[in-house]
Amino acid sequence: MADRVVLTIGTKKGVFVADATKPRRRFALRGPFGPGVPVYSTLIDTRGTPRLYASSCNPFFGMKILRSTDMGKSFKETKSAPAFPKDDGRALANVWSLEAGGGKKELWCGVEPASLFKSHDGGDSWEMVPGISNHEHARKWQPGNGGLCMHTIMRDGNRVHLGISTGGHYLSEDGGETFKASNQGVGAGFAPDPYPEFGQCVHKIARHDAAPGRLYMQNHGGWADWSGPGGPRPDIGVLRSDDHGRSWRSIAKGLPSDFGFPIVVHPHDADTVYVMPLEPSTRSCPGAAPAVWRSENGGGSWGRLARGLPKKQSYFTVLRDAMDIDRLKAPALYFGTTTGQLWIGREGGEQWNCLFDSLPPIHNVKVAVV
Amino acid sequence: MGPAPTITIHVPGPLRTYCAGAAQLSISAHTVRAALEDLEWSQSALYRNVCDETGTLRRHLNVFVNADNVRDLDGIDTTLTPGDVLTILPAVSGG
Repeated sequence: MADRVVLTIGTKKGVFVADATKPRRRFALRGPFGPGVPVYSTLIDTRGTPRLYASSCNPFFGMKILRSTDMGKSFKETKSAPAFPKDDGRALANVWSLEAGGGKKELWCGVEPASLFKSHDGGDSWEMVPGISNHEHARKWQPGNGGLCMHTIMRDGNRVHLGISTGGHYLSEDGGETFKASNQGVGAGFAPDPYPEFGQCVHKIARHDAAPGRLYMQNHGGWADWSGPGGPRPDIGVLRSDDHGRSWRSIAKGLPSDFGFPIVVHPHDADTVYVMPLEPSTRSCPGAAPAVWRSENGGGSWGRLARGLPKKQSYFTVLRDAMDIDRLKAPALYFGTTTGQLWIGREGGEQWNCLFDSLPPIHNVKVAVV
Repeated sequence: MGPAPTITIHVPGPLRTYCAGAAQLSISAHTVRAALEDLEWSQSALYRNVCDETGTLRRHLNVFVNADNVRDLDGIDTTLTPGDVLTILPAVSGG
């Protein structure tokens, strides 16, 4: 019987684990685990006996994958981490996404420079997925400010959606054998062509299991005032697709900014979606007053959720993988900040409280009920 | 070229877990490059921490031959002589 809410918190100085009983009154914190180096991706794998995974970006000794089989009381390195073939010419710079695959031990891993790896043994060995890693576009993608990263992997039967910054959205309909750029309607603000075939700076993609054809995207917005070639591109930052990601349309009207990083869908309602609008120049919330914004009609309109959050002089950033939502009946949102605060938004974000206020800068927050 | 000189590799603490706890390894190699190639097959887990997939020395590691950083010598083509000590150290970082 599921009875604990577990959080994995990837930070600049390792991974932390917090858990609480279902009322979520008090979370106990453990960690940091790992050698004190940045953790950009975590996974709470609830298939069979739960396992926790974390990437470990060691600037000295390279990338590692950490695994816990005791719900985050300890972590050990897996036998190997993803690595490019020796004659490929690319070297792994970071691990940006870890997702469960088919079967009980299959894992998918998105890395920097943007490529996809797969493991069939719970992370002990890895193979590169050539359909995207050696895609004809792969050597043309360019790094964004965070690096050339594959940050989103979403599976839906034989469909696989990938988000790449800056590469765009890629779709496979044959289980990951082949991929096509699928960016119709996804704008780019940093190129003369406002709607290129690929090369968009997609920040995150999300969907609801019960509505697999509906996707939401936080794209790199903030180009409403651009006066160069191609003209201004307002509202390209928050998008929706209703055809499995083949085409996209803006749902940014009503937000204070179309720039942001995370995007999260309510676990019980595909029409409810959350973003955290940021000023594109400072990557902090408009007016220095943090708020999550919620749409309950699929992006048709938006409302501000800020009860309990700082009202002024707050300049943190919430990064692309630093917001998640649990699956309890009245779900809670969670976000971690670059200033090391972990916030919980109870009742779907209606009331916010700070769970931990002095963690290292937070890159990643995942939650599961196990 | 004569037989390869025997040298000692000093392994820093954080990397000993990748070579069965050894603090020192003794190998024969004419150059630092040859020493790293030896590690690639004899201590593959340790090697992966020192060099990336392309065979390039990791950016934030320094390799010394005795007291000299190989970057101030001939890089990984620095030649080795009998009794040399090759030390692998993480670069200083702060902030």
